[in-house]
Amino acid sequence: MRPAARHVCGLWSLALLLSGCMGSMPLPMGGLNRQLAQQGSHREASLSGRWLASIANRNGRDQVELVDVDRQLPVPLPALNRPDALPLSVSVDSGAERLAVVRQVGGQTELVLYRRGLMSSEVIPMAPPGVPRRASLRADGREIAVEVSRQGLVQVDLIGVP
Amino acid sequence: MGQMEDRQDPALSGNGQWLATLVLREGTPTLLLQEQPTGRRVPLPHLRGLRPHHSPALSWNGRYLALIVQQGPRRLAVVEDRASGRFHRLQLPMGLEPERLSLAPDARRLAISAVAQGRPQVHLFDLSGLLEPDLPPAQALRGPANASEER
Repeated sequence: MRPAARHVCGLWSLALLLSGCMGSMPLPMGGLNRQLAQQGSHREASLSGRWLASIANRNGRDQVELVDVDRQLPVPLPALNRPDALPLSVSVDSGAERLAVVRQVGGQTELVLYRRGLMSSEVIPMAPPGVPRRASLRADGREIAVEVSRQGLVQVDLIGVP
Repeated sequence: MGQMEDRQDPALSGNGQWLATLVLREGTPTLLLQEQPTGRRVPLPHLRGLRPHHSPALSWNGRYLALIVQQGPRRLAVVEDRASGRFHRLQLPMGLEPERLSLAPDARRLAISAVAQGRPQVHLFDLSGLLEPDLPPAQALRGPANASEER
């Protein structure tokens, strides 16, 4: 083997060895990551299909935001973000038709199902009564798994979505 | 859910067949994966020794289970491929300590929530070079088989 070929083989072996030791390397989506960083802080990300929902802080106020990841554009959520509400958790389905949001309003914590096409929010009651803490919407939008604080226990309720 | 034990941080697979939650085992959050609606528990040997577990997420058919685990002083984002048995420890950019994650149902993308330079940030990653997609079953075609023959 010629020295140059030996050198290339050596580097390739080293790369394989390092990748095996270091783990799998996912590819950062640089453009969108820079865009999100420039816009301010974001937390509680929920990815589904081409949609990213998160809670963003804008001028000191937390609000739910939706981004079309493929087009790298924000998507409006009319009538979801109320000035008196503090969102705690958000989850989006794969068509971005429904969002499940846990939020505090007037000292109460509630689970809300937002339907984007209808621009409507429906409060989902906890039965038996409890305080929702986090919600995870099934990707097909047919069910919500909710973490609920109830009588000193933290439980998970599965709620069908009509 | 029938049992009087704390459980939190639920995640459903896209088809609803699988439910991941965190339960306390010896005081430490530990992932519990169950088939629905039977409640059958699925062993997860790769996750032993990597507790506490945080922030589980499942793909469409439950093939992939993503979560944050603890390995020594570090938090790691990992993905278990339940079809092949492969266990991916995701190598994130230097200094990115994951707090929560979200796996897209088709497993093509991952969102990591982390605190960077003192403020919460979301970082997106493309996983298409690492994982095969986990897609929903094909949906039946609607409408006539041959529209051009319709009169």
